[in-house]
Amino acid sequence: MSKPKLITEDGIRTDGRRFDELRPIKMEVGVLDKSDGSAYVEFGKTRVFAAVFGPREVHPRHLSLPDRAILNCRYHMTSFSVEERKPLGMTRREVELSKVIREALETVVFLEEFPRTCIDIYIEVVQADGGTRTTGLTAASLALADAGIPMADLIAAVAVGKVDGQLVLDLNDIEDKYGEADMPIAMAPRFDSIVLLQLNGRISKDEFPRALALAKKGIMEIYKLQREALKRKYSATPQGGM
Amino acid sequence: MPVYFSDHEVVLPGQLLSDNGKRSGEGTYVADGKVYASQVGLATIRNNRVCVIAFKGAYRPQVGDEVIGVISDVKPNGFDVVLGKHLTGVIRIPDRRKVQNLGLRVGDVISARVKESSLRGIILEHTRRMRRFDKGLLISIHPAKIPRLIGRRGSMINMIKRRTGCRIVVGRNGLIVISGPSPAQEFAAVTAIKEVEREAHTQGLTERVGKLIDSILKGGVR
Repeated sequence: MSKPKLITEDGIRTDGRRFDELRPIKMEVGVLDKSDGSAYVEFGKTRVFAAVFGPREVHPRHLSLPDRAILNCRYHMTSFSVEERKPLGMTRREVELSKVIREALETVVFLEEFPRTCIDIYIEVVQADGGTRTTGLTAASLALADAGIPMADLIAAVAVGKVDGQLVLDLNDIEDKYGEADMPIAMAPRFDSIVLLQLNGRISKDEFPRALALAKKGIMEIYKLQREALKRKYSATPQGGM
Repeated sequence: MPVYFSDHEVVLPGQLLSDNGKRSGEGTYVADGKVYASQVGLATIRNNRVCVIAFKGAYRPQVGDEVIGVISDVKPNGFDVVLGKHLTGVIRIPDRRKVQNLGLRVGDVISARVKESSLRGIILEHTRRMRRFDKGLLISIHPAKIPRLIGRRGSMINMIKRRTGCRIVVGRNGLIVISGPSPAQEFAAVTAIKEVEREAHTQGLTERVGKLIDSILKGGVR
């Protein structure tokens, strides 16, 4: 298939957005009964569940650390999440993303509160349309907060990229495939610190700060939605006396 | 002293609570001399410290807590005690004969006080206030709900004890031992405690739970 036109002369993208617009976002916290904390996040057609279990015992026991908890993270795409059936099991890509997501989350979770235990995070992509790692990370941080695990801040993530020579926010699948660059960024917004940054493709030295600023703008919007989603779950309940 | 929340406001991880880093209490942390929330919960001030009463979260043992556990191993110099999903406490006794004198076996349920909770593990006291339960029901609820089950100065738990006529021992780690004169009364106590766990956030709970117990004991419900 030849490269489709991704941005019209009026600056409208394939799904009708402007360059600095996010897809329609939906977030819900506490969606799974059996987990200690869970979240569902939707960025347009990308749909992701995250579940957190723990702190719990480490198996096998010798992997446990005497001074802090270990964080296990599994990012996985369901076989029906993409156009062509994805075989079951972890691909190299999924193993790598599990690792970078785990490292991003480790920066905010206070692991030293639970020595000799592990915290398991399962991220399941049920429908993929670009930006699954950022959506997964956004969902995972909500699930961690929902599980009551102490953390310094929530993590919000979004991708920026270069499409038809223009910087755009929150790439979808077509833009990712046919665009010139894709740069997922995750931040702990409270401290303005970047916890994940990857870059696939090329952007120039001048474009980079502009891309970063664009991502930050998107991240602040996502952060706000995350906070609203958490508050929605817990504020609905009236306060009882202690 | 300025704080950035109203009492019992719902706060989220990373939310700024106070400028004075010395006032950091439970459920909070200090960064750059300021206090931030680390958990989802209700912000409040206790003993002049900013605290977050978490809605959810694992039990973290504090020195002096009364906990209930199950003996999982008997060793020459003490016992291992399972305190819940992820926690194992130890009782250390230097004298071998004393270990045998205590007569504890694997599977016994005990209550004990936390002597130390650190990198060395959770160490339980065995000299004072340790007891074994010979009979009763062992149930578990979410540790975050224990303060509500006890209530203000024990109002809730005392009411349940009084109305059901059961003896109830509550462990901070979420395990509870109930023993009563009849299965019906024990059942009423279990139902009441489960109700408290489920409805912990609602108002007028003590009264409703009282009514629930009465209706069960009259044989009316389920």
